[in-house]
Amino acid sequence: MDESEDVPKDFIKLKSENLSVHEVSELVISPNCGAVSLFIGTTRNNFEGKKVIRLEYEAYTSMAEMEIKKICREVRQKWPSVKHIAVYHRLGVVPITEASVIIAVSSPHRAESLEAVMYCINTLKAFVPIWKKEIYEDEYSWKENKECFWANSEK
Amino acid sequence: QVTVLYFARSAELAGLRSESVSVPQRITSVQLWEEIVKIHPRLAVIQDQVVFAVRQEYVLLGDQLLVLQTGDEVAIIPPISGG
Repeated sequence: MDESEDVPKDFIKLKSENLSVHEVSELVISPNCGAVSLFIGTTRNNFEGKKVIRLEYEAYTSMAEMEIKKICREVRQKWPSVKHIAVYHRLGVVPITEASVIIAVSSPHRAESLEAVMYCINTLKAFVPIWKKEIYEDEYSWKENKECFWANSEK
Repeated sequence: QVTVLYFARSAELAGLRSESVSVPQRITSVQLWEEIVKIHPRLAVIQDQVVFAVRQEYVLLGDQLLVLQTGDEVAIIPPISGG
C-alpha cells in the first residue's frame, strides 16, 4: 500500500441496518498505529424497573453528520496523533442487546485513542441531534441525555 | 418563507415533520418560537426544553436576532438522546 494513501480519515455513517463491530474497527486499522480503541453502545432491556421492548432512533441526519464531523476535528486538535476515526450510529428500530452506536479510533499508542473514544461518545451525547424513544410494554418515552448541552439552561 | 422541521416529541405534538412557514426576515428566536406555537399550540408544553437549529447551527430560545432567507431550514430540537 502506498504510504500516502494512509491519510487520516473520518468515517461517519448513520444507517438503519445492523452495525458490525468488525466492519467499523477494520475501517480505522492503520499500519503505523499500534492501538485501536472501541466503544459500543448497546440497548438495555430495562429502565427504572420497566421492561424495554425495543428502542427507536431518529436523527436530523444532515446536521448530525456535521456535528459528528466537528467532533472529529476537535479530536484531532486535542490528540494530533490520532489516525482514523469511525462513528457509526444506527437509526430506526434497534432490538435489545444490538449496537446503537460504534466508535473506533486508531493511534500509534493507546492513550490517545482511548481518550479520544471517550471524548467522542461524551460529546456526541451532548451535541449531536439524534433522539431515542424507549418502547415499554404499555407506554413509551422520549429519552433525554443528561449531557444535552442546553439541559437545565432554559428552566 | 422558511422550512420548519419537527423532530421526536415536537413532531408528535405538531402532527407533522416539516412545513413552510412565513415569518419576518428579522426576528428573535423567541418570537420565532411564538409564531410556530400559534400554528401548533400543543408545542407550548415543551417550550422550556427545546432549542432551534437555524441553518444547522444551534440557537437558544431568547433575544438572539435571526436574519432569515427564503428556504432556510429551521429545526425544532427537543432534548437529544443519541449514543
